[in-house]
Amino acid sequence: MDRETMMKAMREATSNVLETMFFQPVQISDANCSLQDWFSEKRSLVGATLSFNGPSAGSFYLLLPAAMVTGITANFLGIDEEKINEEQKKDTIKEALNMIGGHIFSLFDTKGAFKLGIPEFIEETDLTEDKLGDLKGDTTLIETGENRLAVGIQVMCVESWRNGK
Amino acid sequence: MAFNVLIVDDSSSMRAIVRKIIKASGFNIGELLEAADGKEALKALTDEWVDLVLTDINMPNMNGLELISEMKKDEVLKSIPVVMVTTEGSEKRIQESMELGASGYIKKPFLPEDIKRTLNAIMGEDEDGQRDHDEGDEGSDF
Repeated sequence: MDRETMMKAMREATSNVLETMFFQPVQISDANCSLQDWFSEKRSLVGATLSFNGPSAGSFYLLLPAAMVTGITANFLGIDEEKINEEQKKDTIKEALNMIGGHIFSLFDTKGAFKLGIPEFIEETDLTEDKLGDLKGDTTLIETGENRLAVGIQVMCVESWRNGK
Repeated sequence: MAFNVLIVDDSSSMRAIVRKIIKASGFNIGELLEAADGKEALKALTDEWVDLVLTDINMPNMNGLELISEMKKDEVLKSIPVVMVTTEGSEKRIQESMELGASGYIKKPFLPEDIKRTLNAIMGEDEDGQRDHDEGDEGSDF
């Protein structure tokens, strides 16, 4: 798996999913900073993680401000924000990452060598500043109007990932 | 004739969206049934007559490819069209689905038109060649 190909696919897939399914204006940032710095003004975050295996194994993650979740869930489901419940919010975030992960592989994995797991929700309590530092790997930083998001990938076979083998 | 449709996806949000698109499509839809995985879908298919199945692939318990395989083994269920609605968009996965007997393939993220186009292709004409699709539907949210 070539790193540059993967990161290009990640940017394209994230834009497509957020724009098509969530009606978010997506701006991919070229900022080179840590997740702590990227989210320095929005400490309250939630997210999702999605494992994959195949030629390389690892996981994708999606992080976004908790305050943004109700709005994008309402956009996704096409219903009023007042009618959104917690389960719908969690399910929407998981499905967002599921679509991003699947779309990433569809852009270069023509042989279907990679297989996705089942997405899991990451609670706000698991995304404190300290724990954000534990998230390694490569990240795409995204701005959607007033909000900041991040989509990342952690690959277990780090050497082959870096060398593009 | 009203069509019964079964939506199979482990994401309740995705089922809700597909349901909404179908309801707004203008087709004469009867029952809109839902299942969270292939096993639930098979149970629903034995309980109710279904004219079309829209299924995700990547689901716990029984995935969409296993579901279509099971349906094709059954003398009654094998004639029901199955359309994959999935994030898995590799050529291999599409080919695999078609070889198993899928009637269509919709990649997520999709536009409402993608679902409507598929409905039109599969259910657009009845036995007399008459369209059941009401083009003038004004209740659409999409």
